[in-house]
Amino acid sequence: MDISSIIDSLHPLEIKVLMTMGARQPAAAFKSEDLAVAAELEPSQLSMAVEWLLAKGLIEIQSEIVTPVVSLTKIGEEYHQAAAPIERILAAARDAAGTGKRLTIGDLQTQPGLDPSDVSKAVGRLKKEGVLLIIQGGCIETTGRSSPTADALRPLLEEVHGSSRELTSFSPERQQLIEDYSVKRGNAKEPFRVDERVTRSFVLSPSGASAVEQLMNQGLVEEVSQLSPELLKDGSWRQKRFRKYTISLRAPRVGTGKKHPYREFLDTVKAKLVSMGFQEMRGALVETEFWNMDALFMPQFHPARDIHDVYFVKQPTHAAMADESILSKVGQVHEHGGKTGSSGWGYAFDLQRAKRLVLRSQGTAVSARTLAASPNIPGKYFSIARCFRYDQVDATHATDFFQVEGIVLGEDINFRTLLGLLNLFAHEVAQAKEVKFLPAYFPFTEPSVELHVRHPRLGWMELGGAGLFRPEVTVPLGVTAPVIAWGLGLDRMAMVALGIHDIRELFTDNLELIRTTRGLF
Amino acid sequence: MPTITIFKDDFESLLKGTRTTHRTVSIEQVEEWLMLVKGELKGHNPDTGELRIELQDSNRPDLWCCEGIARQIRIKQQGKIAQYPFLTGKTKPKATIVVKPGMEQVRPYVAACAARGYQVTSQGLAQLIQTQEKLAEIFGHKRKTVSIGIYQLSKITFPVTYELVQPGEARFTPLGMETVMTLAEMLMVHPKGLEYGGILAGASRVPILRDAANQPLSFPPIINSREVGEVQVGDDQLFVEVTGTDLPMVVLTLNIFAANLADRGATIEPILVEYSTRTSLGKRVTTPQDLKRSKTIPIHTIEQALGQELGIKVVQQALEVYGYEVSAGKGSVRVKLPPYRQDLMHTMDVVEDVAMSRGYAEFTPVMPAQFTVGGLSRIEQVSDRARELMVGLGFQEIISNILGSPEQYSGHMRIDETEWGQMVKVDNVMTLNFSCLRQWILPSLLRIEAASSRAFYPHRLFEAGDVAIPDATHESGSRTETVLGAVIAHAAAHFSEIHSCLDTLFYYLGKEYRLEPVPHPSFLEGRAGRILIADKPVGIIGEIHPEVLERWQITMPVVAFDLNLSQLIIER
Repeated sequence: MDISSIIDSLHPLEIKVLMTMGARQPAAAFKSEDLAVAAELEPSQLSMAVEWLLAKGLIEIQSEIVTPVVSLTKIGEEYHQAAAPIERILAAARDAAGTGKRLTIGDLQTQPGLDPSDVSKAVGRLKKEGVLLIIQGGCIETTGRSSPTADALRPLLEEVHGSSRELTSFSPERQQLIEDYSVKRGNAKEPFRVDERVTRSFVLSPSGASAVEQLMNQGLVEEVSQLSPELLKDGSWRQKRFRKYTISLRAPRVGTGKKHPYREFLDTVKAKLVSMGFQEMRGALVETEFWNMDALFMPQFHPARDIHDVYFVKQPTHAAMADESILSKVGQVHEHGGKTGSSGWGYAFDLQRAKRLVLRSQGTAVSARTLAASPNIPGKYFSIARCFRYDQVDATHATDFFQVEGIVLGEDINFRTLLGLLNLFAHEVAQAKEVKFLPAYFPFTEPSVELHVRHPRLGWMELGGAGLFRPEVTVPLGVTAPVIAWGLGLDRMAMVALGIHDIRELFTDNLELIRTTRGLF
Repeated sequence: MPTITIFKDDFESLLKGTRTTHRTVSIEQVEEWLMLVKGELKGHNPDTGELRIELQDSNRPDLWCCEGIARQIRIKQQGKIAQYPFLTGKTKPKATIVVKPGMEQVRPYVAACAARGYQVTSQGLAQLIQTQEKLAEIFGHKRKTVSIGIYQLSKITFPVTYELVQPGEARFTPLGMETVMTLAEMLMVHPKGLEYGGILAGASRVPILRDAANQPLSFPPIINSREVGEVQVGDDQLFVEVTGTDLPMVVLTLNIFAANLADRGATIEPILVEYSTRTSLGKRVTTPQDLKRSKTIPIHTIEQALGQELGIKVVQQALEVYGYEVSAGKGSVRVKLPPYRQDLMHTMDVVEDVAMSRGYAEFTPVMPAQFTVGGLSRIEQVSDRARELMVGLGFQEIISNILGSPEQYSGHMRIDETEWGQMVKVDNVMTLNFSCLRQWILPSLLRIEAASSRAFYPHRLFEAGDVAIPDATHESGSRTETVLGAVIAHAAAHFSEIHSCLDTLFYYLGKEYRLEPVPHPSFLEGRAGRILIADKPVGIIGEIHPEVLERWQITMPVVAFDLNLSQLIIER
């Protein structure tokens, strides 16, 4: 990199340091603390700028001076506040001598704030200095001599307390004492600490010097990193230079507000359905067996009504249905066909069973309620309903899932218009141009059709099922016009759109996955 | 919807009838033919020739077997109805089953036939057993309504009696066991006794079939005798019986077996069943028996439902090659189902068979032409608007299960036994993880937060979705309402941050609201507010209580609101 492109990339802090160093005539080395003062920078700012300049080779380290510095540890501050173990032991021994009490090492070790290692170290030192004697039975006696250690320690604590001092400013004897009582590896419980303070001094490198020269020549144009309201208001931005950025760096991530990709997919389906003239229906999560199954002509002995297929509600177990007339109408159809022209299932319909509360197991329950609520004829309805199945959860079975389905009512509804509607779904929802209609079975429709489409990316897939509601369903609910019932199976399309292979991931708790899923479709 | 396994060469030989030459059929051809029977090919093993087929129609048990599928296709291909001479009534039954009084209390009906002249092959035996299992399990409601036994005819001396015995009194060696046991012991130790014994619960005497030599044939619906009721490859004289609680279903099941064995070349000999009281088919019932389900249908009804003019001839031809007997009248047809079917409740059942027989591809789709106006419900509109605003406020949308655990929805939230902790609970719990419906949204969002401490912060999450709120005044004991929940989590998350979001939301929803302090165990006291609109509570906002966060193992401050959108739009 040539010198001018280096200059262009300099941070204002770096320029400040370079200019400060360049200003000293004749050129000389700067100690870092002096440099901080001269450049009017915080120590942290200075060390950042110095590291960058060293990396760019604009300054060099001239010398590095290592100075041992003494300071008090937390323990030392405590000794300064109260007393060091050696002082306390000496006082205790003198006190015992004065009162004639026996004092043992054991007694000392049990005194609060003194631990065995403190005691043995202090007693050892005092014994060596001839201040204490250990007589028979571990008893301690004083000799009456004074202790040089104890005498020197107190003033030292006073001097070092509050601020650190250079070790060499003390006399050799005191330096030794500090050494003896400072924190070393394996012995952290000491009053003093000796650290090495590194003082570096810097000089401009030759390229640094030419950078300074060039910066000088650029005149008084100050460089700024950020355009500010002030610069704009007073127009002073004209006198500034804007530091150039390294724009090829990776952008930092930003948290964004975003729809859930699966919900976004369902929103698109919803918009499609509305655009095709469908009105939305809403239903309840808790339904009676009546609306969930009986009204759909599923006999009460139907295997899908079993305790292993549907979730039953614990409390209350049964609905308080005020209007029983519709129940008995449907019940009659189950028993002997009622007025529908059907022979019915030929079993005894249980009215109480019809009131049993369940978690909605199929979206068709919502359609059944719409049929009973004087729907428009012609009319088109849809719902995106949450349903619950008593299934072991695995990669292809969820216990809690959305069903997209609905009804179309009209005097022109027949098997061929049913196929026409499915064609429309194939084109609009799956962008498929090729379709296949296969015979299918649903308890509540006849004839029944399965819609298979060739999806542009997925190939042949089942998109949905549909049929004409059996008269046993529509007539007792008050509808005599033919009705299409349809449902779309969109989970596979959704999973492919979202790039997942496990149905459980549609409701994942992995925020990172939700945030990073693009949800293209 | 049963799934069965059949063998391709067995299927091919059934397809061509017993006398024509063998010809292989392509898999594509099989798949196309399966449309006639609402079947779907689920698997094919070219090495063993096994085909796995799922049959959709739960009202067509005759199709849940190789013979039935082949029959439906064969009729279409040959253009003529399968003839079963044993149903004409001309063959007089040579053998009798006597039903003793008392059976009507427990398992009233029996139907049976003999089959001679078909030597059982290993594939044929596998099909026989599979059909027996599928029919008893699915059509017969786990043997409750219908169960089936197959025996070596040569070992039986007629007449056979069907009667009740004390479970401790009768004994034989059941299939799958080595020693003689009483019926009571079979109920207690035999795997089938343990599985199906419940059907006989409460009966002091249980059914038994015995022959004239007092030899037990079986203990219906539990297990056959090993001596008589174990059919093997090579046997060529069989006895088939069906017992159950519904006479038409019992007879239909026997008809299916008789037709299946006849299709394989057996001569079927009907058997006379003598009841002690009169049944819907009389006191003396010859089985198999054509139940003759029939109906007269105006042609225009079929044409109207299909949306196409077909004419009597076309309809008649379509139904005949689908197995019906049809006689054409003036503007209508009289149709009779084949003896192996009984699924004719309504004209529409016949309409579908016309369509299937002709093939759905024969019908040109027509767009429904009548104009309708599309639109969203009011609550969906409000929910969509709120969702858009939340996205604008920088929140990531979440979707969660509604079915969850009381621990998540209440326990972790410190609201057990409070007015906020009431939920709709499941009676038949499979796992506690899916045992109640959520009554608010916040736990769903804390679930994400608890799992996502490594996703970069801040986290701003929301979900708008349905909840179930217990309400004794409601018909079904609960109301389904749409609730918007939102959380913010980061090191300095603060009440005013979430409050600003709520405030903005209300501004754009055009609603005046106020907050009123509320002690709510899920939130820090003094930092939680009830959201009120016109003095009616519609939600809650606050800083989540640290103990709640601890229970979720969340180590980041969280502030949140939970706002009931359904309550919000109620006109006051």
